[in-house]
Amino acid sequence: MMKKIVLIAVLSFTSAFAQVEEPVEVPFIPYEIKMGKGFDAIQANCLMCHSFGYIINQGRQSKDFWNKKVLKMVIHFKAPISKEDVEITTDYLFEHYGNGELK
Amino acid sequence: MQRRDFLKASLAASAVALGTSASAGVTGQPIDSRKVSKIAFPEKRPLITYSDRPPLLETPRDSFTKAITPNDEFFVRWHMPEIPTHIDPETYTIKINGLVNQELSISLNELKKDFEQVEVTAVLQCGGNSRSAYKPIAGGIQWGSGAMGCAKWKGVRLSDILNRAGLKKGAHWIGFNGSETAAYYETPNFVREMRIDELDDHVIVAYEMNGEDLPYLNGYPVRLVIPGHYSDSWVKMLSNITVTAEYESLFFMDVAYRVPDNDCECETPDNKFKATKPITTMNVKSVIGYPTNDTVVYHNSHVVVRGVAFDDGHGIKDVVISVDGGKTWKTAILDKDAGRYAFRAFRFAFKPTKYGKVSIMAKAINRLGAEQPFAQDIKWNHGGYKYNGIDVVTMEVV
Ligand code: HEC
Repeated sequence: MMKKIVLIAVLSFTSAFAQVEEPVEVPFIPYEIKMGKGFDAIQANCLMCHSFGYIINQGRQSKDFWNKKVLKMVIHFKAPISKEDVEITTDYLFEHYGNGELK
Repeated sequence: MQRRDFLKASLAASAVALGTSASAGVTGQPIDSRKVSKIAFPEKRPLITYSDRPPLLETPRDSFTKAITPNDEFFVRWHMPEIPTHIDPETYTIKINGLVNQELSISLNELKKDFEQVEVTAVLQCGGNSRSAYKPIAGGIQWGSGAMGCAKWKGVRLSDILNRAGLKKGAHWIGFNGSETAAYYETPNFVREMRIDELDDHVIVAYEMNGEDLPYLNGYPVRLVIPGHYSDSWVKMLSNITVTAEYESLFFMDVAYRVPDNDCECETPDNKFKATKPITTMNVKSVIGYPTNDTVVYHNSHVVVRGVAFDDGHGIKDVVISVDGGKTWKTAILDKDAGRYAFRAFRFAFKPTKYGKVSIMAKAINRLGAEQPFAQDIKWNHGGYKYNGIDVVTMEVV
């Protein structure tokens, strides 16, 4: 009995204690990435800053859309992507996640 | 035909033409078909999951029958993939520096003991909540209606902290840093700035959410709470507050979270409006939590429609419901008021009289008389921000 009271007293003096004692683990989600031409370029250029889920959440889009999106990564977020890979990744995205329209 | 009439007629004709072409930008109901994932993130139950890095989780619609969103159902939105996964509450400090008389470094213990403790119940909503309503697609996560929630936040007034540090003459801006970092060193970090005169006493540095520690994914151990404002400036894992004289140009201030600076806050995809302004305060909105688009009931069921309504702090005056496509509206019952920044839960009892698909619409009206527009009357903007169309769910009566 005595022990219990002491424990409670100690606890209430430790004013800040985390709800989670151990580091949290953010799970990995296995996104299905379509294989094919350009896949390597996507792996090399698009997955260092965010998941594949972030990309395909846009749904099927035009070639112009994907091209602008890749350029946005380069211009605003300073993604180090070569001119050549901008084209390769755009083509890949349009082929697998495109809506068939150029614009 | 008079010239004036001709003009009117051709305007009407072009409006019709525009209305049918997605290139002009059209708005409908946000996507509502996504299911929760089987994977549960730390301290969360399974939610609609867009991305693991950064974590992006949406609250399913059926949570919005409750005026308080439970912590484990609360949506999650980070910008950067690297977020601390362990924080020691004994050593964590918030630093206050820049144009202050005395730089401060406040520990969590000090925050909880040395300042007046205050509470506010407030809605946290992403500016891009419901973005999937906009066509053509607007940049960013294609949220349904669940990038929002309401919690009771406990913490310390930002103004009390700033007073303790003492503002120097010429202090006009405050920058807030969280602890998330980009994966690539040149990517701009997520830093927010606010004008000092934009901040009132309702802004708090919060360490508690619904009576518990903040969940990691909602910004443990402390985050900024700015009632009435969209969540872009509610910085999570707040680590640094810097007072400055001038605005510093930053990507997440200058480019993201902005709408056209015109009356309708609108534009067309081919003709974007040059001048933009920050999204700041929330417009009036409501979301139906029950029924959902999956609900099937027998025709003689007594259905109680439930949902939540909110605005930027003027308060909700009425929520009205239509079951005939918006021709007639009836007033819903409002639950008790948990404060002007909170969700106001509403309910409305009705008995379906016909079989098949029955659509239910909810429209909130605030104390200023501002009301939600029909989805199709909302004009497009490139970031897909501030959608607040009348919510519609369609259930099946068998
Ligand atoms: C240097 C880091 C970086 C790289 C590399 C990168 N991105 Fe991004 N990406 C970002 C950031 C930062 C965001 C936006 C985060 C935010 O707004 O919270 C983003 C967002 C997105 C979005 C969401 C829509 C939007 O407009 O915000 C898409 C789609 C996307 N990236 C696609 C790509 C593709 C495709 C590639 C490879 C060609 C790529 N990204 C490479 C940093 C990067």
